Amino acid sequence: MNSKRRIEGLAQRVLFFLASVFVLSVLVFYVSRLAPGDPLVSYYGDRAEKMSPEEREWAEDKLGLNAPIHVQYICWLQNAFRGDFGISYKYKMDVKELVGGRIGNTLLLGGIGFVLIFVLALALGVCCAWHEERLADRMICRIGTITSCIPEFWLSLAGILIFAVTLRWLPSSGAYSIGKENDLGDRVRHLILPLSVIVISHLWYYAYMVRNKLLEEVRAEYVLLARMKGLNKRQVLFGHCLRNVMPAYFSLMALAVPHVLGGTYIVETVFSYPGIGTLTYESARYQDYNLLMLLSLFTGIIVIFCNVSAQMVSERIDPRLRMDDQRRYEEVDRL
Amino acid sequence: MSELLEVRNLSVSFDTPAGEIQAVRDVSLTVKTGEVLAIVGETGCGKSVLCKSILRLLPDIASIKTGRILLNGADITDYRERDMCRLRGRVFAMVFQNPMTVLNPSLSVGAQIAEAVKIHSPGMTRLAVEQRTLELLRLVKIDHPEERCKQYPAHLSGGMRQRCVLAIALAAEPELLFADEPTTALDVTIQAQILELFREVQAKLHMAAIFVTHDLSVAAMAADRVAVMYAGKIVEIGTTEEIFRNPRHPYTWGLMRALPALAGGRRRLYAIPGMPPTLIDPPKGDAFACRNEYALAIDYEEQPPMFPVTETHFAATWLLDERAKGLEIPVPDFGCSDAEEERGELAAEPDILLDVQHLTHVFPLSKKETLTAVDDVSFQIRKGEIFGLIGESGSGKSTVARCIMNVYRPTGGSIIWQGINVCNPKAFHTHKKLLQSARQIIFQDADDSLNPRKKVCDIIMEPMKLQHVRPPRGTMRAEAAFWLQRVGMDAAYLDQYPSALSGGQRQRIAIARALSMEPTFLVADEPVAALDVSMQAQVVNLFKQLQEELGFSFLFIAHDLAMVRFLCNRVGVMHQGRLVETASAEELFRHPKHPYTRRLIESMPIPDFSWGVSERRQDR
Amino acid sequence: MKDGFQVVGIQQTDQRPVHGSGSRRQEKPVISALLLLLLVAGCLACNLFVDKDPSYLDLAHSNVAPNRDYLFGTDTLGRDIFSMIWYGGRISLCIGFVSTLIATAAAVILGAVSGCASRRVDGVIMRVVDILLSVPSLLVVILLQAVLGKASVLSIAFVIGITGWMSMSKVIRTEVRQIRNSGYVIASRCMGGGFFHILWHHLAPNFVSSIMFMVIMSVRTAIAAESTLSFMGIGLPVEVISWGSMLSLAKQALMGRAWWMILIPGFFLVATLVCLTNLGNYLRRKINGRHSNL
Repeated sequence: MNSKRRIEGLAQRVLFFLASVFVLSVLVFYVSRLAPGDPLVSYYGDRAEKMSPEEREWAEDKLGLNAPIHVQYICWLQNAFRGDFGISYKYKMDVKELVGGRIGNTLLLGGIGFVLIFVLALALGVCCAWHEERLADRMICRIGTITSCIPEFWLSLAGILIFAVTLRWLPSSGAYSIGKENDLGDRVRHLILPLSVIVISHLWYYAYMVRNKLLEEVRAEYVLLARMKGLNKRQVLFGHCLRNVMPAYFSLMALAVPHVLGGTYIVETVFSYPGIGTLTYESARYQDYNLLMLLSLFTGIIVIFCNVSAQMVSERIDPRLRMDDQRRYEEVDRL
Repeated sequence: MSELLEVRNLSVSFDTPAGEIQAVRDVSLTVKTGEVLAIVGETGCGKSVLCKSILRLLPDIASIKTGRILLNGADITDYRERDMCRLRGRVFAMVFQNPMTVLNPSLSVGAQIAEAVKIHSPGMTRLAVEQRTLELLRLVKIDHPEERCKQYPAHLSGGMRQRCVLAIALAAEPELLFADEPTTALDVTIQAQILELFREVQAKLHMAAIFVTHDLSVAAMAADRVAVMYAGKIVEIGTTEEIFRNPRHPYTWGLMRALPALAGGRRRLYAIPGMPPTLIDPPKGDAFACRNEYALAIDYEEQPPMFPVTETHFAATWLLDERAKGLEIPVPDFGCSDAEEERGELAAEPDILLDVQHLTHVFPLSKKETLTAVDDVSFQIRKGEIFGLIGESGSGKSTVARCIMNVYRPTGGSIIWQGINVCNPKAFHTHKKLLQSARQIIFQDADDSLNPRKKVCDIIMEPMKLQHVRPPRGTMRAEAAFWLQRVGMDAAYLDQYPSALSGGQRQRIAIARALSMEPTFLVADEPVAALDVSMQAQVVNLFKQLQEELGFSFLFIAHDLAMVRFLCNRVGVMHQGRLVETASAEELFRHPKHPYTRRLIESMPIPDFSWGVSERRQDR
Repeated sequence: MKDGFQVVGIQQTDQRPVHGSGSRRQEKPVISALLLLLLVAGCLACNLFVDKDPSYLDLAHSNVAPNRDYLFGTDTLGRDIFSMIWYGGRISLCIGFVSTLIATAAAVILGAVSGCASRRVDGVIMRVVDILLSVPSLLVVILLQAVLGKASVLSIAFVIGITGWMSMSKVIRTEVRQIRNSGYVIASRCMGGGFFHILWHHLAPNFVSSIMFMVIMSVRTAIAAESTLSFMGIGLPVEVISWGSMLSLAKQALMGRAWWMILIPGFFLVATLVCLTNLGNYLRRKINGRHSNL
């Protein structure tokens, strides 16, 4: 019974996941084609403006742009199933190759950033809750509020200005120095600034959430019972309060994925970091349809995947979510 | 018996922005091994704070100002947190008031008990811990302990959860168990079971216990000795027999007389006038003086010390002073006098005002499941009658009230109010205005039933404005002032917000709002359940008085049998959505027919107050 | 009879009522409020004290470091940064307010509808909101902005507003649900209060306080979003002066090591955001009076 229910739940999730991806692809496809602007410009550059109507038609035909949108979409979908996502108009190469060459960089930057935020936010939140309203907490809160207000791009600029341009400690752009693709130390040096920017600008928002959630938990009555047993404060905080906060924290961090990813894209642009962030924003600007489709799909899949898996993890570790009937009963009681 | 715990002149204060709250003032008491001491008092009198300060479970803003706490003769007042951790669980344990919130919702019950077992015997094997957990569950009489172990608190009923909390408290066989209102949040029948279990376990393990309660009858059943607290001080302490047979403090008199179980046919409940003082800057003299009809002049000037009555019985009232001897104190009349006054029985059979026929209400829980909250309920209410509806929580009594008031549309059956079928939307709309002004409702939690962002006068005026009533006393405001005075409050409260008022005052405002429409039918859904004994008596008296004056019909919903018996003409008993018995109040209590009614009445904690007034007169 | 020992019964004693007990007093963000007031006033009244035209391209004096003539220096196009700050502040603040207006309106309407609706309708609306919340808003903004064509102040405000209402509507919906089930709303319904009476007299006064925080935070987010967009070149063009578009010249500034072009507008931007956050945090519902059990 239990395993059957679990499989059912899993199937539901997978279906939801696929449906979301499909809807996303349709939306992006239509919206991008509604946008004014000429995709031919990105393919032919300035030449596109001087084309004769016949030439245009021939070019559009070649790129498959003159069919009705739904036909174009079906065509794209068929190709996509075969693994062919078309070519980029601007870079004139297979989008898969184009993205594939850069995606690693983005995943590295965003992934490490996300993990750091995840761990540090938890630690900082617990630290603040432990020292509630004492000096340490107040100081961290104040500094945190300020850092969380600074837009990423400006923090990046200030970082470059101070550490790269003035002090010359760190490189100002790129993922590696020319000719040193395989030098690990060089890569790490290039990662330091963008990574710090991503972590600093996102950290406090989540740490503050953890802090507030913990402070709420600490005010619950079960804390008294736990302390009455003879547990010390640390045992209560970690064994009871933090445990109860974790499910909410997982869902929160799932929602954090799009934000951190968005932040990564911005930081990549400022640091001219060869990731997909710069590509995304260029593809939207220059009507590079095929590239845009792949990138949005990729972003969407990461985000939806994280959401679905966070939900499943939360349900695994939080018995409260499994007791739907009980909760509904209580809700009825309150009506 | 040796003295296990001794508290000497303990004072505890809370440091708040509004000032220093002196929650416990100069309290001294002792508890001997194996003895049960009950601490009785109203909300905010400091009884919980006293217990928590001994266990050192109070928040940082609270501090012990003066006094010592001795455990087996050793001073533990200055123990640090680490030392207290070792005492908690092993020496002290505590059972809390609300079993619904006190267990961690995301840990299984077994894990929570096992945690308590492990912490004090770190060397135990897993198997031994498991064995001990099951043993504890059996000790608190939980059936199928192996399965219950794996369940989460949400799966268990309130009584079960309280048993689990008790099991956790007993895990390390403490020497002193604090029970902070352990039965207050539970239903009457469950309350009796838990009380029984508590006494059994206490005798079996030969523990000492401090039993905190607001309910004198519970204290009488559970304790060897009783301490009465008021405004942070112990005003009277003695053995249970001494306190109940020979109470000496006027506050104890008041508490006892306010019990509806002892009203025994009197027209009014005795109510202690006024309200307890705030403990920020408490009054100079005796804190109870301004509510005490026997107050002496010195009570307003100087706090009374503890006067010994016998070796074990002490009371803090100047009435016991040498100099007050010879004063003629009108001895209050307690006791259930048998000379019962004839209840205002309705002479003839008046017309039927409300006819509920086969009322059924089903809540959908999910696509498959439903919850039948009300199942085929039929009853009538006559004009000018007070009809009581009693039952435990979840028995569907509130749902009945809400169906009658058109908050829910019932799934089946009909409700006929003066010939109008209010369940029929069409009929309801044609008579909307009449129905909405002639029927009014009062809720349990006055906290929640008054909009916190409106002033008192706006709250009282709301129904009048909605129904465009032309105020008979000139302006709306005058009208509001009139009704406020009618419910015993000063017109000065008109511009206050509800948050500045006490629970009893808020309930009065809810009453004023309902009555301002001069309804012919009033529904009150547990209107006094959230109030203290003395406030309860005030509000119930008010209901009775207003009903006699205004003559409205009244549906009174409660879980307190004694209250219903005192107030109502006829009573219906609800159990699991069904109305199992309807009878006149006296008839129901004297000759209950349905087994459930019998069980309810048996579980009522009625103290054995067989002391006579004559006895007291003799020793004067 | 000895003095004091006669029965006097119940007498009035003066008990002064205690107000505001319970909740911890919070320090008021005076400095933040004053600074914000100063900034807003400066931006509104800038034509009174700024004597240079912010859009005048003085190519002879480009990239001038701060001096007595040009208090904050000039940018690569030779515009005076001091005057740009104040004029640009107008645009930035204006975008913040307009988009918040749009977001708040959308949030209140959808939140209230969802809160009052049946469980099924509520479920659908909240599902949609959840999905929208999980899409990276930057992506949506870029797409929308591409659809709307060349950016103007209004179109930017619209795009930011339309992507920023989701979390606010969730808060409102929860509030409305809670208040809807409270005794005073049911009592009001029994007394004949209609939907609008309840909305106006009971729901609105109670949820206003909880959304004030969200509203202020939304101003903050909008200002930050505008500056980010303008910086990346998808927001306002360089000619339309805002704090964001001033920073879009940052790349050139970095090469010329013109720190004033980056740090000064950024400082104003961050100061505004910090002040707004402090104000918002003050308005956020405090952890009600209860004290830690730990």
